[in-house]
Amino acid sequence: MDSEQTLIQRAQKGNHDAFAALVEEHQRYVYNLALRVVKDENEALDLTQETFVRAWTALPNFRGQSQFRTWLYRIVTNLCYNRLPNLRRSLNDLGDDVMEDISEADSNIPAQEFESNETRKYLYQAIEELDTNYKLLITLRYQSELSYEEIASTLNLPLGTVKTGIFRAKEQLRKSLAHLEESWITV
Amino acid sequence: MDNRLKQDALIEDALKSYPLAPMPRTITVNVMSRIQKNTRPALVTWSDFVLGFVIAACIAALWFAAQNLPPILLAKIRIQGILLYQDFLVNARWLVPAAMIGLAAVLSALTIPTLLRMTVDRRR
Repeated sequence: MDSEQTLIQRAQKGNHDAFAALVEEHQRYVYNLALRVVKDENEALDLTQETFVRAWTALPNFRGQSQFRTWLYRIVTNLCYNRLPNLRRSLNDLGDDVMEDISEADSNIPAQEFESNETRKYLYQAIEELDTNYKLLITLRYQSELSYEEIASTLNLPLGTVKTGIFRAKEQLRKSLAHLEESWITV
Repeated sequence: MDNRLKQDALIEDALKSYPLAPMPRTITVNVMSRIQKNTRPALVTWSDFVLGFVIAACIAALWFAAQNLPPILLAKIRIQGILLYQDFLVNARWLVPAAMIGLAAVLSALTIPTLLRMTVDRRR
């Protein structure tokens, strides 16, 4: 099987099969990112298609300085910005209060620490209900596994804004969790 | 375990295990059919050729006109040009540097976005 680098080089020379393999490989991640932002399956599919068509057109300019998927995320987020003009403003308005590194807690806690699967499901629901700007940042950080620097570059935002956004998203999740814990106490 | 640490761990776990939504259907066929219809734009388009031809024709016309004007007329144009320049220097000293800065601003506006785009593409 060809490596991604080989597929990209072949696609840059106009090989359709190589590009189809790249589409097959990356479509799920691009679709997920679009879905988290536009919250509509058909619109997300439409954006995903458009992303790959634009990627094909711009592929000769892709120099391989960043990862191919990061490049695709940049295209899809630009399309999302066009679709939701307020999204860029809401990201810029986050400010950059959090400049230091955000410590990421060790998630390898023993299974018994989870009260039940219910907690996890509740948190999934809370993630789903986050504001679009937070959801975009969270998706890029945790589902696409980009570094803070890569997210800043992809969204064309200052690093501090990215850190602030992710910090605040986690604070919102913490509030939701506290709310759940309070409801347990009252019951 | 401290409650806040436990909350952090639960949140981190939920974020890391948050499932990817399944694709309702593959889009590869649709993308490939759209790609086959839309060929990639060439690096140099027809409009670039036409624009280049028009600019070259204008330069050639100016050069041809300058070569074929009577020498006396050329000398008069040169004298009028020098007089106009001197007039600017005496009555509007600011005009020549202002015009130069304006020209530089126009050229920058034309070239800087392209250079930035090239830099961003290279960074990618």
